Amino acid sequence: MSASAPLAIETRALHRVYRSKPNDVVALDGIEIEVVPGEFFGLLGPNGAGKTTLIKILTTLLLPTSGTARIFGFDVVHQTKEIRRIMNMVAGGEQSGYGILEVREQLWMFSQFYGLGSRDGWRRVDELIDAVGLDEQRRQKVSTLSTGQRQKMNFARGLLNDPWIFFLDEPTLGLDVSAARAVRELILAWKAAVPGRTVLLTSHYMAEVDELCERIAIVDHGRVLAIGTPAELKRRVQRESIFRLELDRLDGGTASLARLPGVVAASAAAADEANGHDDRQTVAVNLVLHDDAALGGVVTALGGLGAQIQALRKSEPTLEDVFVELVGRGFDDAPDDGRDESQPDGRAAASEPRRDDEPAEEELV
Amino acid sequence: MSANPYVHRPTPGPQAAAAWTRRQIVMTNVRTVGGRAYPRVRGLAREKSWLFFEILLPFLTTSAFVFVYRALQAPPEYVGFVVLGGAMTAFWLNVIWMMASQLWWEKSQGNLELYFAAPMDIVAVLFGMAFGGMVMSSTRAVVVLVIATVLYGVTFSVAQWLLLVAVFMLTLAALYGLGMVLASLFLMWGREAYHLTQFLTEPIYFVSGLNFPIARLGLLGALAISVLPLAVGLDAMRQLAFADAAYPGGTPPPEIEALILVVMTVVFLGIARWMLRTLERLARREGRLSIRWQ
Amino acid sequence: MSIDPAALDSPAWGGFDPARTRGQGLRDVWRSFVTAAQLGWRNEANWTDPILFFIYSVAKPLSSTLIFVVMIEVIGGAAAREFRGFVIVGTALWAFVVAGIAGLAWSILDDRERYAMLKYVVVSPSDFLTVLLGRGVARLAVGAMGAVITLAVGVVALGLPLEVGRIDWPLLSVVMVGGLSAVVAVGILLAAICIQTRQEAWSYPEAAAGALFLVTGAVFPLSVLPAPVQVVGWATPLTWWIEGVRLAVFPAAPSGIGGAGSAFAAFTGRLRPEPYEIVVALLATGALVALGAIVGFRVSVHRAKERGLLDQTTGS
Repeated sequence: MSASAPLAIETRALHRVYRSKPNDVVALDGIEIEVVPGEFFGLLGPNGAGKTTLIKILTTLLLPTSGTARIFGFDVVHQTKEIRRIMNMVAGGEQSGYGILEVREQLWMFSQFYGLGSRDGWRRVDELIDAVGLDEQRRQKVSTLSTGQRQKMNFARGLLNDPWIFFLDEPTLGLDVSAARAVRELILAWKAAVPGRTVLLTSHYMAEVDELCERIAIVDHGRVLAIGTPAELKRRVQRESIFRLELDRLDGGTASLARLPGVVAASAAAADEANGHDDRQTVAVNLVLHDDAALGGVVTALGGLGAQIQALRKSEPTLEDVFVELVGRGFDDAPDDGRDESQPDGRAAASEPRRDDEPAEEELV
Repeated sequence: MSANPYVHRPTPGPQAAAAWTRRQIVMTNVRTVGGRAYPRVRGLAREKSWLFFEILLPFLTTSAFVFVYRALQAPPEYVGFVVLGGAMTAFWLNVIWMMASQLWWEKSQGNLELYFAAPMDIVAVLFGMAFGGMVMSSTRAVVVLVIATVLYGVTFSVAQWLLLVAVFMLTLAALYGLGMVLASLFLMWGREAYHLTQFLTEPIYFVSGLNFPIARLGLLGALAISVLPLAVGLDAMRQLAFADAAYPGGTPPPEIEALILVVMTVVFLGIARWMLRTLERLARREGRLSIRWQ
Repeated sequence: MSIDPAALDSPAWGGFDPARTRGQGLRDVWRSFVTAAQLGWRNEANWTDPILFFIYSVAKPLSSTLIFVVMIEVIGGAAAREFRGFVIVGTALWAFVVAGIAGLAWSILDDRERYAMLKYVVVSPSDFLTVLLGRGVARLAVGAMGAVITLAVGVVALGLPLEVGRIDWPLLSVVMVGGLSAVVAVGILLAAICIQTRQEAWSYPEAAAGALFLVTGAVFPLSVLPAPVQVVGWATPLTWWIEGVRLAVFPAAPSGIGGAGSAFAAFTGRLRPEPYEIVVALLATGALVALGAIVGFRVSVHRAKERGLLDQTTGS
């Protein structure tokens, strides 16, 4: 891809309002994102954050109320055919297709919609069936597939046309651990095959987004609250270094550590469950330091106290911590459908729970 | 098999991949017709209850109308009128059950958004449905026509074979054009429109003169001839297939009716194309392409 | 995880109540039936929607009748006038047949393909067949409206000679109960078939109803059919139902079963069956069809469970 190549995804002041009674619902409230070609980009947010609405607009299935969106330079409103030739999409829990067909036949039908020749279509379908691990279900009727098998078939469908951009809307929804892992490996293998292939993944599974995405936008109530790499986002909430220590003993208790230079706080923690079955007695301590450099002083001090360190682990913040920090609530507390009717004007309420000491949304993005 | 299953037809980049030639566009639409017809045809082979319900039972229904005329001691050509009507019913039912209401079904099943997200024309999908369904309806029409003709001794006296074939083809073209218009309407009106399939059976049979010469309906018949492909096509075919019979006058000659069918085909296909585009725009504006996410 | 036995013993506090597994017999059946009927009513018979009312109660049944009326008019003659009344009654009653059969069969297709609810209906404590009957009853009510309106149009506009004073009410009551039960039985049979078929089976009920036209004497006397086909008609309860209603409401109307040259006349030496013969034949054939329908339905549900058909979508 040349340096002047258009962005894979570019949205400007994207708004989408659903007309409904008694109040209109603002699903997207000025979304601005840029995704470069070849990027694995994640949209993280609770149910109703506006993720699916954004995907529908980007996949040309829904018009924005205002603002612009472009896929590889093509406008989602007017250049739909061009976009449809280079993209594909898979959604979690997708039940599309015809139950009376076999897996192979169903995929061949879709291959024809993308202009593959008849024989070429059958060849391509067989390749993808093998690639997604459905070889045993090749001749099975679609209506008899399990949820995981069905999603693998959906992925094969989504890859039929060699898309340059792949939109994945909660693709592992309802899958068990092993099926979800298979799907994630599949996406990564497909993306790695050709430089420039781009993925937009929406999910509310933090670990999945953390594992797959190079950059993430955290969205809520139709707004982007923060964009960055997972590490960048986590750094924003981690102002101190947090360590967990396990010691053989600690004479003087945690108070003896709290007095040390660079230590913000020290508190007793419950011992790990694994150690609970151990015969040895351990003391677990959570240690909050101004920075990593303060750890040296702590270790020296512990030596002076006669305590032996049996385990030391640095605690990393999770994306959930980032979300809670940004929004002031966890995913589980989010309204269900993104159409928060408690807001008379339909506007997102994301900023309301934010504490005064938090940076404003504009500063984060 | 290519070495990497994740690379099938490499393109230099997205811009090149999005720039399709006219040939690519046409071929994709042609292949879409075949692709969408495929499940219909496979469905017929896989689940054969249609042979009983779509072939035998309709034949018996047509027979019932034949016996009504027999009970009335009607002239023999009336049996022929009924048989021809019974054969053509197959295509009308195919239009309303397997085409008009189908986009709405596709939406319910979550397929519609995948259709709209793919690069082909939605008209090609509708044609695919039509061709797939036509396998069944043609079988039904032929069976009804042939068996009833033999069993009830129908005598055809065709004066202009070429015109008869042309009228038949034009009738199908106009019927399926109307089917596309209805498909858009059904999708727009949702479940309410689904009930309209009911309205499109017996009432349409009646005003189309399915079992009697439409001239008997007077003004209503004339109106039907001007808007319903089934009515005008059937009337023209009866005039052409029973040229020796004393056919009740009052309707235009078959040549004029063929022209009416040409106009209907052009108008219906034009309206259908416009409606489908309008519908897509409306659906995209209002978020109505899928039920699941609404 | 340990279970607190006290919780099991205290249904009032949300514990498990073993009595719930026993059910309440007929009360449960009745409640299922009423609930399903109400659902069917809301689903199919929305009287507040004038378009739906017009389609189902006026346009469809009246058009069916008018098709035959015009067929008769086209041919004309004295026989045609007598035949007109015969056809109007037959097609009016046919509104019940179409609605009854289609209502039950479509409930299956609706619940499975459109709402994906069939499996939940089956696993609920309610008897599946009872629920289905409830759904079908609503459509039967729609059919009743269609039949009444068609008959009214027949009397007012088409010269159908109705004399209320001469109606044989006891006969009418018996044959209507027997006939509608038979319609429901045929509907159950179609529903059993639709459990096994694919989504495109929407047109099957109407096809079945159309084919029954041939052997039931609804729109022409059986006497015009070959004798073996007439005998097939005798085995159909709908034939006796229509004959019974004609005899009860329009005593002067020609018989659909008997008549000059009919197999019935040849067999019995009489031109039309007696009322008691009609009732006995209706109840006997109706009972056989009902038995066959129930057995067929149970077998179909069993096969569907065996093959996993209850939660499939089968569109093509």
